[in-house]
Amino acid sequence: MQDLRVQFFVSEGTVTAVDGVSFEVDRGEIVGIVGESGSGKTMTALSLLRLIPEPGRITNGRILYGEKDIAQMTDEEIREFRGNEVAMIFQDPMTSLNPVLRIGFQVEEAMAAHSRFTNQQSRDRVVPMLQRVRIPAAKDRVRDYPHQFSGGMRQRGMIAMGVSNEPSLLIADEPTTALDVTVQASIIELLRDLSRELRASVILITHNMALVASLCNRVIVMYAGRIVEQGPTRAIFKNPQHPYTWSLLRSMPRMDEVGHERLVSIRGLPPDLSKMPPGCKFHPRCRFRIDKCLTEEPPLAEVDPAQDARCWVLMKNIPNPEAEALK
Amino acid sequence: MAQAAPISQPEVELTYEVPEQVTLLNDAWRRLKRNRIALVGAVIIGILLIVALISIIWTPYPVWLQAVGPTYQTPSLKHPLGLDQAGRDILSRIMGGALITVEVGIGSAIILSLIGIPLGLIAGFYRGKVDTIISFFINIWYGIPDLLVALILVFVLSDALHLIPRGVLVIIIAFALTRWMDVARLVRGQTLSLREREFVEAARMGGARDFAMLTRHIFPNALGPIIVQATFAIPAAVLFEAFLSFLGLGLPPPTPSWGAMAADGYHGMDFAPHIVLAPTVALSLTLMAFNWLGDGLRDAFDPRMKR
Repeated sequence: MQDLRVQFFVSEGTVTAVDGVSFEVDRGEIVGIVGESGSGKTMTALSLLRLIPEPGRITNGRILYGEKDIAQMTDEEIREFRGNEVAMIFQDPMTSLNPVLRIGFQVEEAMAAHSRFTNQQSRDRVVPMLQRVRIPAAKDRVRDYPHQFSGGMRQRGMIAMGVSNEPSLLIADEPTTALDVTVQASIIELLRDLSRELRASVILITHNMALVASLCNRVIVMYAGRIVEQGPTRAIFKNPQHPYTWSLLRSMPRMDEVGHERLVSIRGLPPDLSKMPPGCKFHPRCRFRIDKCLTEEPPLAEVDPAQDARCWVLMKNIPNPEAEALK
Repeated sequence: MAQAAPISQPEVELTYEVPEQVTLLNDAWRRLKRNRIALVGAVIIGILLIVALISIIWTPYPVWLQAVGPTYQTPSLKHPLGLDQAGRDILSRIMGGALITVEVGIGSAIILSLIGIPLGLIAGFYRGKVDTIISFFINIWYGIPDLLVALILVFVLSDALHLIPRGVLVIIIAFALTRWMDVARLVRGQTLSLREREFVEAARMGGARDFAMLTRHIFPNALGPIIVQATFAIPAAVLFEAFLSFLGLGLPPPTPSWGAMAADGYHGMDFAPHIVLAPTVALSLTLMAFNWLGDGLRDAFDPRMKR
């Protein structure tokens, strides 16, 4: 994905939801995209499938899948591409399954939409797929309706639909937000195992840093439609360079730091996308800003090999951030 | 984390009873069963259907046979509903009329659904220009006096152009062509709301074709209201046929239409009221039964009515 820009043309003018986002996902890699609501993470994912809702449009950039440019595909090609090469798993499994169709039929439908399998093969694959996502007694549950499933099982059903065509990229949009914590853990484990078995890449969209830490190889932090920091998970967590990343991590309760009782919250709200502040987009909420931040937007620059951050200051230049932040 | 988890679970034998499946339809059926008045309607409709089926193979006398006894004869053991002005057995003709009624009612409901459902689905799903055009036609059609147009259609199709012989079929087509808007409008509204639902979006992201999304995801979810709407279209069609035949513009004699029978007895009403009474009572019961059942179905399909 290169220099992607998604703009919404609304009556009040143009809103830029995603601006200049570039990243790559290698085969088998698990990449986490984190950021607050409205930071453009979902739009970035939707543009991969060319499903930006009206009145939005991709106005710049290229999205390459292998050799193919997604923007250049015909309608039929993109339809065949969705679900076949790239599958998406949703936030809320309660509403993402059709209430009047049986689970098994819906999984079969997902395969029938594409030509990878014949009808007979699709039918035969339904039960193994459900077993693969660890739905107990799959043989008996294929004839169930979604409301007879629990939340976790529905999410497993959704995952079964997603991976039934053996896609090479799986986009999981906050797959565990609607589930309770114990179920979350098992779903995450399932995603990791499936990605390994299918040699599929995963883009995990979330605002849950713990999830990212446990699953991803690489993290992309987005803010106001831009990538503010990216790098290997370990580096980001140990050594965040952008104040936003640092604040996100500091706002998360941790088991191993009993001493810190106060969590650092990020003051204020993310900017209105139609009234973007000048300079660095994070400066109104930043505790470490300098004068330059108010006027000039920093570039996404390399701070370490494989780690980039979009900041003039960088956290490594701040001696005692804890004390400063809690002032 | 280091070790890959097993791919699939061992097959688990179930040792307990799996609870009975609760589908939309049998949930609705459960609620319908508790609704007395709707059940009465259903029973009357059941009787109507049985009578109609019997009349195909057997009626006490042929429906067209005149002078089986004295004209205007009042009900007797031999002729339970009496004889009409031409000496035809009224019971036989009521039975034959039941078949006509069923044909007209169900035929109209099917044809107008065939027109209204696809138009509604397309308008609601594609929105934009297509929707504007279809909605425009729906509104125009509502503005046209439907009875008048239906009358003209019957005349043009069968008498002027000789496209369809004057009979049940032309009545059904005329009715469907003038009354398809209710279903189309209903389906359009349902589709507009269903297309935004997440499972439709999910299907789109899974690469489903438009046709599959419409037929598998949107249509089945709109089925409840469609069934209700179609049920209410049946009595309207039945009444329309009876009305046309009463005026002498519907089915040609000696077809045993209830409307025509009422017209036949009209002149002798002061001394032989049974000739008018029999078809009008049959007609009223039928209309009431369908309306009761329709109300019951509407309540049964509405999840908010769940008790």
